[in-house]
Amino acid sequence: MKKHFVLTIWAAVVTLPLVWAVVSSFKTDAEIFDSPWSLPASPQWNNWSRAWSQASIGKYLFNTVIVVGLALVLTMLLGSLMAYCLARYEFPGNRTIYYTLVAGMLFPVFLALVPLFFVVDNLGMLGTYHGLILVYAAYALPFTVFFLHAFFRSLPTAVAEAAFLDGASHAGVFFRVMLPMARPGLVSVGIFNLLGLWNQYLLPLVLNPDPDRYVLAQGLAALAVSQGYRSDWSGLFAGLVIAILPVLIGYVLFQRQIRAGLTAGAVK
Amino acid sequence: MRHGKYRFLVGAMAAPLALYAIFVISPYVQAFYLAFTDWNGISNEANPVGLANFTKLWSDPLFLAALRNNGLLLLVVPLATIVLALFFSAATRGTRVYRVVYFFPQLLSVAIIAVLWQFVYTPNSGLLNGFLNAVGLSSWKQSWLAEPDLALWCVMAAMIWSAVGFYVVLFSAAMESIPVELMEAALIDGASSGAIFRRITLPLIFESVQVAFIYLGIAALDGFALVQIMTVGPGGPDNSTEVMGLGLWRNAFTYGKFGYASAMGVAMFLLTLSLAALLLRATRREQVELA
Amino acid sequence: MNPTRRVLLAGAAAATLSGCATAGSSDDTTNKGNTSAENPLGVPAETPLEVVIFKGGYGDAYAIDAQNRYKQKYPKAAVDQKGIQRVGEVLQPRFVADSPPDVVDNSGAGRLDLATLVSSGKLKDLKELLDAPSLDDPSKKVRDTLMPGVVDEGTFDGKTVILNYSSVLWGVWYSKSLFAKHGWTFPKTWAEMLTLNEEIKKAGIAPWTWQGKYPEYMNDPLVSLAAKAGGFDLVKSIDNLEPNAWKSPAMLAAADAIYQLAARGHIMAGSEALSHTEAQNAWCKGQAAFIPCGSWLEGEQQQVTPAGFDMVMGTVPALTGSDKLPNGAVMAASSESFLVPAKAKNVQGGLEFLRILFSKQVARGFAESAKALPVVNGATDGLTLPSGLSSVAQAVKAAGPNVFSYRFRTWYAPLSKAVDDATGELLTKRVNPEQWADRVQKAADAVAKDTSIAKHTR
Repeated sequence: MKKHFVLTIWAAVVTLPLVWAVVSSFKTDAEIFDSPWSLPASPQWNNWSRAWSQASIGKYLFNTVIVVGLALVLTMLLGSLMAYCLARYEFPGNRTIYYTLVAGMLFPVFLALVPLFFVVDNLGMLGTYHGLILVYAAYALPFTVFFLHAFFRSLPTAVAEAAFLDGASHAGVFFRVMLPMARPGLVSVGIFNLLGLWNQYLLPLVLNPDPDRYVLAQGLAALAVSQGYRSDWSGLFAGLVIAILPVLIGYVLFQRQIRAGLTAGAVK
Repeated sequence: MRHGKYRFLVGAMAAPLALYAIFVISPYVQAFYLAFTDWNGISNEANPVGLANFTKLWSDPLFLAALRNNGLLLLVVPLATIVLALFFSAATRGTRVYRVVYFFPQLLSVAIIAVLWQFVYTPNSGLLNGFLNAVGLSSWKQSWLAEPDLALWCVMAAMIWSAVGFYVVLFSAAMESIPVELMEAALIDGASSGAIFRRITLPLIFESVQVAFIYLGIAALDGFALVQIMTVGPGGPDNSTEVMGLGLWRNAFTYGKFGYASAMGVAMFLLTLSLAALLLRATRREQVELA
Repeated sequence: MNPTRRVLLAGAAAATLSGCATAGSSDDTTNKGNTSAENPLGVPAETPLEVVIFKGGYGDAYAIDAQNRYKQKYPKAAVDQKGIQRVGEVLQPRFVADSPPDVVDNSGAGRLDLATLVSSGKLKDLKELLDAPSLDDPSKKVRDTLMPGVVDEGTFDGKTVILNYSSVLWGVWYSKSLFAKHGWTFPKTWAEMLTLNEEIKKAGIAPWTWQGKYPEYMNDPLVSLAAKAGGFDLVKSIDNLEPNAWKSPAMLAAADAIYQLAARGHIMAGSEALSHTEAQNAWCKGQAAFIPCGSWLEGEQQQVTPAGFDMVMGTVPALTGSDKLPNGAVMAASSESFLVPAKAKNVQGGLEFLRILFSKQVARGFAESAKALPVVNGATDGLTLPSGLSSVAQAVKAAGPNVFSYRFRTWYAPLSKAVDDATGELLTKRVNPEQWADRVQKAADAVAKDTSIAKHTR
């Protein structure tokens, strides 16, 4: 089984770091540097409690779940509609709109932060959940459209044609026929968006100044800074692992859904 | 076509387009405007300087070094990542547990990936040198990230490693939507698995491969986060890992040359856009219909 | 500049930036109350105060202490204080819109570029505060309670616009217990240093390690050596971008002195790729005898330093027998930059907050909680300091007036990058001292020629 040998090696190469990050979060700083690849002599639970309290994880987790959850729903809804229209309909301006959206991925966000601050401020949305949700969705849109566009284009047309012949409306075809067919694509792009939004740091930094509404990434910044001054690597690792855990658990639990999504997408 | 098409299109696209125009395009347009000024990032005035920022780019040795390094990333990273991802997604057909595992690097933020790879490359207690020692190749040991000839390649390895997982999932998803009958028919006709991959699988997921190329190209022209955390300097040793995103950040935030940084951003934007357009045009083809 | 050719940032970018359109009028619209002996700065009693603090390695306990004292004095004023991490990104738009907080601690990795803040006229001249009576002793002005160099360091073209809170000295660190065990003494001259290094090598320990990933760590001993040999004139000529200053004999000799560490194999293998944490950790474990660093090292290492290690900072040895500065001369600067924005809504309150912050009591609390040296004279008197901090305090006393600091790092960031890059190459022997000086001089000349960079002189 040469194939499985290669596959297993790669699996080890990508799993090791995750395990390593978790193990490091239980080590002392000295251990992390003395022997980065060894196990801790005794697990340092206080790394976790330090990270938990310093990064106010509980409160920020709540904010993050609200903002990222709603932004993800909005992104996937708007993004799939947009991608579907562009991929499946001929109309004047189609290419222009597509390229304008793609172009959104090509410019570094941090150069536009100051103007963006004023846009959001003038709309009175600074430091609000809905402001952050809308901005998150807007910045996730190009990536979503870009990948789903390709996906919708590679789907067979026959089923949609048949639905139209049966008298289905445009919206009906999209929601009842195309969306279920595109589920594998929606799921993979959705997971990727979830991770991207979860780790979003620059946008909340500038647009979300109220500490009561901080998201996780802003809380982790406190740990990263104190790491720079006091070598609190262990606390940082604990914080990062705490931040990964919900996503990891979600991802693993979601596996069944993903599998279902993939099977439903296969055209029988 | 059927009636109500335009009503549906307008209804479907109005909201996303409005959102995009307000929060993405309008700030970007303002940032573009700044590229033609001497704005320092703090002042509330910006004097127009015409094209001066752009002409300065071509005599800025750091920008030119960055251009060269990003060019190298562009040549290596997308191709290597896609080849690996295609191989893994084809090879893991039927064994989904691998695909679940392969996605793991995506769960880590860039910061943790960079720190991790630093521990791989670090000279005295690093994983790579330790491994070389263990297999009797201790003469190959290096201060990996401190060697101007090696540092950029070390960054590339980390980039490819962290990107493969997403494309395995993406390509697998695309492969799953290929009708099983098609494969079975080909198998019955006696096609080898290599031939099936070349003649059936690849053409049918071509759209996905194409966008993967473009998206990885965009990532290769950036590379900012990894370089900033991992490399000596950062951007070193002696600018051997300098990338455009890093120069841009430095000019904007440590040198107070926001106008100039915006010009770099615009140049980077135009470069990426023309590459993407070129790639799309060069690989344009008829859509594969499965009707 | 001709105002008609100016375009407000809002200009082409339309109404979204309209917040700026009102800016740029007079400087003296400050909200000022009546002055008295108790309230020499005329703080309006009811105006709220907004303070933004960089909450990094030093924490923000000292600033909260100052805040509580402010509240006690002005109970009717609401005080809003935030401790944040990325000061730059968070405050940049507020400076652009001219609605900044009243006090800012502009520090940490994401701080705003000071030279840019100054050249955009965003900072309040702190003269009024410096000339106000100090909180501890009304017969003394605030400026006379601060360590030498602090006011100077915050002064740009005659205007003092920032005050740093924490005093930083640079030197070469070693473990007192390790040196006692081997009978080594900290060298007085660089020649002695090189001789001692050979001896250390024989004991099976690497003489030096350094934070090679960030080459500026080795610049500090390099330019310190040069300053000692060349005196204050050399420091000034470097900062004023004088032609061939980097090729002056003292600077070249200093580069060669540092180069010798690499050439003679006195540096621990692999150091050139180590981050500050890794190098400092190797040093704490006794793998190397010396490491160059600023006075924050002890605080940074406190969780990984073995008991009985007793780290101390030695001042950089003399370069030659005929140095212009005496042996105890030391490079010092300060960090944690406090400022009051020119457009703050409560400028007087901001100044008063700083007057309280720079009082002895608050500074003493800072020394205790942050384990660093505050810039307020006598703040640490009577405190029992740990070995490192007490060696730093001794170095300050020993140096007396012979304290120097370079300004080019804050004035000309591109030059400082060029020096860092060159030093990284020097220590891997990819360039020799002459080539090092050539490269850096070229970069200095380029900065001098670049009209887009605001120039300063001292």
